[in-house]
Amino acid sequence: MTEIPTLEPPTEQTMDSSTPVFSVEGLWKVFGPKAERVPADPELTALDPAELRARTGCTAAVRDVGFDVRKGEVFVVMGLSGSGKSTLVRCLTRLIEPTAGTIAIDGEDVRAMDRSRLRELRRHRAAMVFQHFGLLPHRTVIDNVAYGLEIQGMGKAERRERAAEVVAKVGLDGMEHRRPGQLSGGQQQRVGLARALAVDPEVLLFDEPFSALDPMIRRDMQEEVVRLHHEEGRTMVFITHDLQEALKLGDRIALMRGGRIVQLGTPEEIVGSPADDYVREFVRDVPREQVLTVRTAMRRPSADQDGSGPAVRPDATVSEAIEAVARAGAPARVMDKGRCVGVVDSDTLLGVVAGTEQTAPPGTVQPEEAV
Amino acid sequence: MATITASPPRVGLPALLKHRAVHKLLLLALAAAILVPLANARWASGTWPSALTVDFSEPLAKASDWIIDNRDSHPLFLYFFGHVSNVVVIAVRAVYLTLLAIGWAGVTALGALVAWRVAGVRLALGTAAAFLACGLLGMWVPTMQTLALMVAAVLASVVVGALLGLAAGLSDRMDRLLRPVLDTMQVLPAFAYLLPVVLVFGIGVPAAVLATVIYAAPPMARLTSLGLRGADKEVLEAVESLGSTARQRLLTARIPLARKELLLGLNQTIMMALSMAVIAAVIGAGGLGDRVYQALASVDVGAALAAGIPIVLLAVVLDRVTCAAGEKIGAEPEPHGGRGWLIALAGVVAVAVAGRLAGRLDWPDSWVVAIAEPVNRAVDWMTAHLYSGVPVIGGTADWAGHFTTWVLDPMRDGLQALPWWSVLLIVAALAWVIGTWRTALTAVLAMAAIGVLGVWKPSLDTLSQVLAAVAVTLVVGFATGVAAARSDRLERALRPVLDVFQTMPQFVYLIPVVALFGVGRAPAVAAAIVYALPAVVRITTQGLRQVDPAAMEASGSLGATSWQQLRQVQLPLARRALLLAVNQGLVLVLAVVVIGGLVGGGALGYDVVFGLAQGDLATGLVAGAAIVCLGLMLDRVTQPTERRAKKGA
Repeated sequence: MTEIPTLEPPTEQTMDSSTPVFSVEGLWKVFGPKAERVPADPELTALDPAELRARTGCTAAVRDVGFDVRKGEVFVVMGLSGSGKSTLVRCLTRLIEPTAGTIAIDGEDVRAMDRSRLRELRRHRAAMVFQHFGLLPHRTVIDNVAYGLEIQGMGKAERRERAAEVVAKVGLDGMEHRRPGQLSGGQQQRVGLARALAVDPEVLLFDEPFSALDPMIRRDMQEEVVRLHHEEGRTMVFITHDLQEALKLGDRIALMRGGRIVQLGTPEEIVGSPADDYVREFVRDVPREQVLTVRTAMRRPSADQDGSGPAVRPDATVSEAIEAVARAGAPARVMDKGRCVGVVDSDTLLGVVAGTEQTAPPGTVQPEEAV
Repeated sequence: MATITASPPRVGLPALLKHRAVHKLLLLALAAAILVPLANARWASGTWPSALTVDFSEPLAKASDWIIDNRDSHPLFLYFFGHVSNVVVIAVRAVYLTLLAIGWAGVTALGALVAWRVAGVRLALGTAAAFLACGLLGMWVPTMQTLALMVAAVLASVVVGALLGLAAGLSDRMDRLLRPVLDTMQVLPAFAYLLPVVLVFGIGVPAAVLATVIYAAPPMARLTSLGLRGADKEVLEAVESLGSTARQRLLTARIPLARKELLLGLNQTIMMALSMAVIAAVIGAGGLGDRVYQALASVDVGAALAAGIPIVLLAVVLDRVTCAAGEKIGAEPEPHGGRGWLIALAGVVAVAVAGRLAGRLDWPDSWVVAIAEPVNRAVDWMTAHLYSGVPVIGGTADWAGHFTTWVLDPMRDGLQALPWWSVLLIVAALAWVIGTWRTALTAVLAMAAIGVLGVWKPSLDTLSQVLAAVAVTLVVGFATGVAAARSDRLERALRPVLDVFQTMPQFVYLIPVVALFGVGRAPAVAAAIVYALPAVVRITTQGLRQVDPAAMEASGSLGATSWQQLRQVQLPLARRALLLAVNQGLVLVLAVVVIGGLVGGGALGYDVVFGLAQGDLATGLVAGAAIVCLGLMLDRVTQPTERRAKKGA
C-alpha cells in the first residue's frame, strides 16, 4: 500500500503567536463630501449603500472591515467588482487614505505614519503588483524592475545587478532590454512581479494581477505565485474576483460584498460551510471534492477496517481520496501521524460530491451516525 | 402570414414640446417677445443704435500717445518692457549672426544632419534640398532672418508654454484658471494679436517675436498639461506604491509618460510660430514674410512666390522632422545613438569650417535663379487670357466679380439690413440649440460687444465673407470628406496633399489667389476656403471612419444600401465630428478672411492694416477687438458642450 502523494499545503505555516503582518480593525473608506462623519455616526453606518448616497452623497467602499494577515500566509480578499476589495488593499499602504479604523503593520500604526515613514513602508516593507501592470513604457524591462531600487537611491550598477537576479527568478532571462510594449501580457505581469520582488518586501500585495490575462497564461502565473510562495514563504495579500484563483492560492480567504467581509476562513470553510446564502450561491459551482478534505467526509474507524485499505492524509482532498478508494476498491484510512483517525468509503465521498453530507465544522470528526 | 403594421410615429404637439431644442427656442422666443418691443421702442434703428456704442478711439488714441511719449522715460518701460525688448533683440541677433557665421553650407549641413538623426535619411535629403532651394531662389538672407526670429520665438514659447502647462498639469486650480484662456486663444485669428503688442513695443523685431510667442505658446501649454494629466493612472499609482517622492514621480514618470504630447506640442508650436513669424512682417518682423508682404502690396506675384516657396519648404521640413521625432518614441532605441550625434556634429563643423576657409559664407549671387520675371510673365499672360472673356466658362476675374455681385454683396447687404436685435437673437438661438445657455450667453455678449465698439457694419461685412467662405468650404469639404471616407484610394491620394496644405502658413495662401483673382473680397474668400478646406476634409473623413464598425456591420447585415448606411448610421454617429468640422472651418476661415485685408478684403482686416500703416492704433485696436469678439462668437455658436449628465451616477 502506497500512500497517495498529497499536495503539500503551500507553506509550513509558522502559525505562532507572533504579531500579524497586517492587523486591520474597523476600517472604513468613504468617498464623498464630509466623508469622515459617516463611520462616526451609528445612524449612517446602519444605512444601505443606496440610502447612504441619497442621504449624504457619500459612497462607502469599505465598511467596518477587520482582519489579521499572518506571517507567511497567502491572504486572499475575494469579491465581485465594486465590493471594495481594491480600495481595501490600497488602504493598507495608504495609496488611498482610509476614513476610519486602524491598520498596523508589524504592530506599527500605519495611519499615524508621517510622509517619510510612509515612503519607507512603501519602499521596503510592502510592494504591490497591479492589474494592468503599471509599467513605465519608456524603460526597458531591467530598468522597470530596478525602478523601485532607483527610487530608494541605489546606484545604477548595483540595482541592475539585483534586478537581473530577479528577472531571472521570474523567468524573463534574455528579455532584459526589451520595452514593456514588446512583451505579451503574461510577460509584462512577470515584470510587474519582478519589480515588486526586487525591493525584497516583507509583504507582497496583489491587486487582481492576473484578471487581464488569458486563461492559460493566468494558470501559469498562478503556479508561478505558488512556486514563489513555496520558495520564499513571503507573506502575500492577494485580491481577486476569481473564486477558483482564490481557492487555489489562498490559505485564508476573506469574501467581500458591498464593502463588508461576509466570511473569512480557509477555502474549505468557505466551501464547506458558507456563512450565508450569498456565499452559498457564490460557491455553488465549485467542485467540492477538490476543495474539501477528507476530514469533512470521514467517519470513525470501525475495528474491522483497521490495518486494511489505502492510507490518506487528513488534509488530502476528497478527489484524491476518491482516486485512492477507486483504485483499491476498498475504503481508505485517514492516517494522521501514524494513527488512523477515520475512514472514508465511497458512500461518504459521494456524499461530499453530491453536497448531501451534513456540514460540520471542518476539523471535527464526523459522527458515524451522520453518514 | 402575420403582418406587423407599425403606425408611423405621430409627432404631436406634446411630443414636440418635449424635445429639448424646441424647449430652448420657445423660451428664447418668449424672452424675445418681451425684450424686442422694448428695445425697438427705445432704440429704433436697423443698425446698431448709436446710443449703445461707446467711442473707444479717443481714450485708445490717448493711451497710445501716452505710451509713445513715455516709452523712453517711464519706469515700467525702462525696467521691464525695455529689458524684454533688449533681450529679444539680442537673442534674435545672436541667432542670426550665428547662422550667417556658419555659412549657407554649414546651415544646410546642420539642418540635414539633425533631420538625419531625428528622422532618417530621406528627410535629411529633403531638408538639404529645401535649404538649397531657398538659396537658389535668392532668399537665403531673408530665410535666415525668419529662421533666427523663429528660433528665438520657439525657444521662448516652449519655455513659457511648458511652464504654464506644468502648472496646469499639476494643479487643478491652475488648470481651471488657464484652460478657458488657452482655449479661447486657440480660436483667435493671428491678426488680432498684432496690435496690442505694437501698442506696447512699437513696430519692430521685439513686437514680432512677442506676438509670435503669445500666439505659439498656448498649444505647448495645452499639450503639456494634457500629457501630464493623461498619464496612465495605474502607472502613477504603481510608482507611488514604490515609495517615490513627488519630485521623483514628476521626473521619472509623469514627464516621460507625456513625451508624445510634449513633442506634439513642440511641433504645433513650431508650426504656429512660423505662421505668425510670417504674418508679423506687418509689424516689422522682416525676413521672408516681409518680402511677401512688400510684393503683395505692389501685386508683384513673381516676387511674392519667390519668397513664398521658401516659407512652404520651411513649413513642410519643420513639420515632417518634428513629426518623425514624435513617431520614433516607443520604438527600439538605436544602439549607438550617441555616436551618431557626434558624427553629425563633426560633419557640421567640418562643412562650416570648409565654407569659411573657402570664403563662401554667403550664398553666391551667380547661383540665384530669378523666378520673379518668368512668373510675372506667366501671370501677365494669365491676366490677358484667363481673367475674363474665356468662351463658355468665363474668366477667373469674371468668377470673382460674379461671386462678389451675386453672393458677397447680397449677403453683406442682407446682414447689414437686419435689425440689430435680430442678429443677436439668431446668434442666441443657434448657440443655445447647439450648446448650452453659457455658450449662448458668451456668443451674444461677444456680438453685442462688437456693436458697443462701434464697428457693427464692418464686422457684419467680415461676417458675410466668413459665412460665404464657410458655406463653400463645408459643401466642398463634406463632399470630399464623405468620398474619402468611402474610398481608401481617394484617401491615400488626398493624404499628402492635405498634409502639405495643413502645414502652410496662412499668409502664403494669398499669393496664388492674387495671381488668379486680382485683389478684392473674392480672393480673400478664396484664400480662406483653400486654407480651411484641408482641416474640414480631414475631420469629416476621420469622423466618418471612426464610426463604430459594429454599427456599420449591423446595418449592412440588415441589408442597408451604402447610401442608407451613410445617411442613417455614419452621419448621425459622426455628428460631433461634423460639428467640429464646422467649428474649425469657421475659426480658420475667419483667420484668413481677416488677413485678406491685405489684398483688398476690406472690413475689419483692412482697419487693422490701416491702423498699423497709418500709426492710427486706436482704429486698429478697435478692429482687433472686434475680430476677437467675432472669433469668440463664431466659436461659441458652434461649440457643442455636453450637458453635465452626471448627477451622482
